[in-house]
Amino acid sequence: MNKKRQPFSTFLRGSLGIFVIIAIALAVIVILSFLLSKTPLRTLRYFFLGPLQNRYYFGNMLNTAIPLIFGGLGFSLAMRAGSFNLGGEGQLYSGAFVATISALFLAQWGVFGVILALFLGSVVGGLIAGLSGVLKMRWNTNELITTFLVSYAVVLVVNYLIAGPFLDTETNLIATKKIPENFRFLHILKPSNLSIGILFALLAIILVHLYLYKTKSGYELIMVGLNPRFARYGGIRTSWYRVWPMFLSGAFFGLGGGMTIFGTYYACMKDFSVGMGWNGLAVALIARYRPAAIIPAALFFAYIESGARNAMMHSDVTFEIASIVQSVVFFLVTSTVLQQIGVKKRGL
Amino acid sequence: MVAIPVLHSAVAIMTPLLLAATGGLFTELSGMLNIALEGLMLLGAFASIVCAHYTGNLFLGILLGIVCTMALSAILGSVTLYLKSNLFITGLATNLFASGLTVVLSFHLFGNKGVVVFKEVAQLPHLKIPALQSIPIFGDIFIGHNVFVYLSWSLVLISAWVLYRTPFGFRVRAAGLHEKTLVSLGMRPQRYRFIAFLISGFSCALGGAVLSLNLGAFVPNMTSGKGWIALVVIFLGQKKPVGLLFAALIFGFADAFSNYAQGAWNVPTDFILALPYIFTLLAMIGFSIYTSHKDRVE
Repeated sequence: MNKKRQPFSTFLRGSLGIFVIIAIALAVIVILSFLLSKTPLRTLRYFFLGPLQNRYYFGNMLNTAIPLIFGGLGFSLAMRAGSFNLGGEGQLYSGAFVATISALFLAQWGVFGVILALFLGSVVGGLIAGLSGVLKMRWNTNELITTFLVSYAVVLVVNYLIAGPFLDTETNLIATKKIPENFRFLHILKPSNLSIGILFALLAIILVHLYLYKTKSGYELIMVGLNPRFARYGGIRTSWYRVWPMFLSGAFFGLGGGMTIFGTYYACMKDFSVGMGWNGLAVALIARYRPAAIIPAALFFAYIESGARNAMMHSDVTFEIASIVQSVVFFLVTSTVLQQIGVKKRGL
Repeated sequence: MVAIPVLHSAVAIMTPLLLAATGGLFTELSGMLNIALEGLMLLGAFASIVCAHYTGNLFLGILLGIVCTMALSAILGSVTLYLKSNLFITGLATNLFASGLTVVLSFHLFGNKGVVVFKEVAQLPHLKIPALQSIPIFGDIFIGHNVFVYLSWSLVLISAWVLYRTPFGFRVRAAGLHEKTLVSLGMRPQRYRFIAFLISGFSCALGGAVLSLNLGAFVPNMTSGKGWIALVVIFLGQKKPVGLLFAALIFGFADAFSNYAQGAWNVPTDFILALPYIFTLLAMIGFSIYTSHKDRVE
């Protein structure tokens, strides 16, 4: 009995830091409400209880988590190989765009069309990220900056394509045409927006987990991330692991974009994905790049976002307080000092 | 001749980049990759014009803007150095915080999440010296800009002097080059890094202020990647103050040229907006090819 309890209590103590960080983040919400809102208690009630109050809001919260999970997986894969992929925004947006356009062309193909369209979207996301990987491998160009710059340019080019050649002139929105009815994901938990995309997201988590921990390639990827020189002397092709994880990373972002269109929006609207890429990155950070931990991290982020959206609808604060709370989490989440809270130093 | 007006606006456009890069040079040399320049600039842009609006005084506004931005850079510095967080993540946090805070405050203060125009805030004074202005080409390109342009050049010179001629500058650079030397001399590298963060906050505040005050308005996320380009300017400028001048000028020129192209050739706006990023990317790639060849030769 004692032997079994030991690891759990150390686990709890080890995670105390993350709870302290979450507590600080929640405290920031309370402080902000009292500073900015005329009816702080009302704001807080909608913020904290809003996402849980009925099926509609709860389902929408889970739906918000879908792109976050894909983005979190994407950023984690690159990070595990020691590469930074800051271009999630552009990869997600372009993946969504390409998936939408492909769906319009593949309207007759049924289920295969859905798969092919999502595949094409994710390949485009992957190629965009892979480019930075190639540059890194070939000339040691800082991928942190190139992914960011490429993403920024890609977002603008997609904006042009949506507002220009692919604009649906029949609506007043700046958006492409809607994808065919039979391409849209089945909705569960009606009347909310939650689609079966959430199941695909969970499946993706399992697949990435198996890839990283149960395959040779995954093992090599982690090795390169931990110590590239050691990996190279061990006979691993490190140059390949500058490109491949980046490609995978972008592909997951692109897939997340496609899933969001097929499950929720049906048409690629201009700027629909603003912030999703960054939030996916934040989720990966909180989960410390472990696939299994991405689920709670994505739910936490989705909760904060839905809370902020709820508070905005029913009270007098604006949605962007979510990004302040998220930034507080960012500030503290990697703090080794805070992580050490509760971890007893042996021999002292 | 279209070259002269394009160059004239290139000199104006490079100023925010140069200001942010000058401060970023200090953090970069102290061994810290400061990706928070973007957020610091954004807060500087917002705080200075809002404070100028409420105090009714341009100078006081800029001063308060500097104070606010330095406060954020102090938070960034202390979380990174003393709570021992990952600098890269805290840098992103700073950017996210600034973009969230500016929108939240703008909504709270002006009831508007979009563009906020400040009509009553005074214009930035411009340097007008008829004698110099009458010099052909030189006068057309370099004279007649707002005071921030000349301030940015003097800051480059001052930072060159501080970094290479003062004990403080040597210690900042030592913190980046070889931390242990500083420690063995009984000095604390973290302290110099912290001051470097404050300096980057100071200069980013100025870089942001020139953006918003020049326009007389605050636009959400108006820095639109300028902080990142400033970071690239530092790399391209070979981490030397005078190098920054040339690197910033290249970007200023690219931007000015694309503005010109938009008017002249009727290119879609989104492509024009994308050009500076593509150009920065190409410059970054060219630079890394150059350094990787140099490394191989050595």
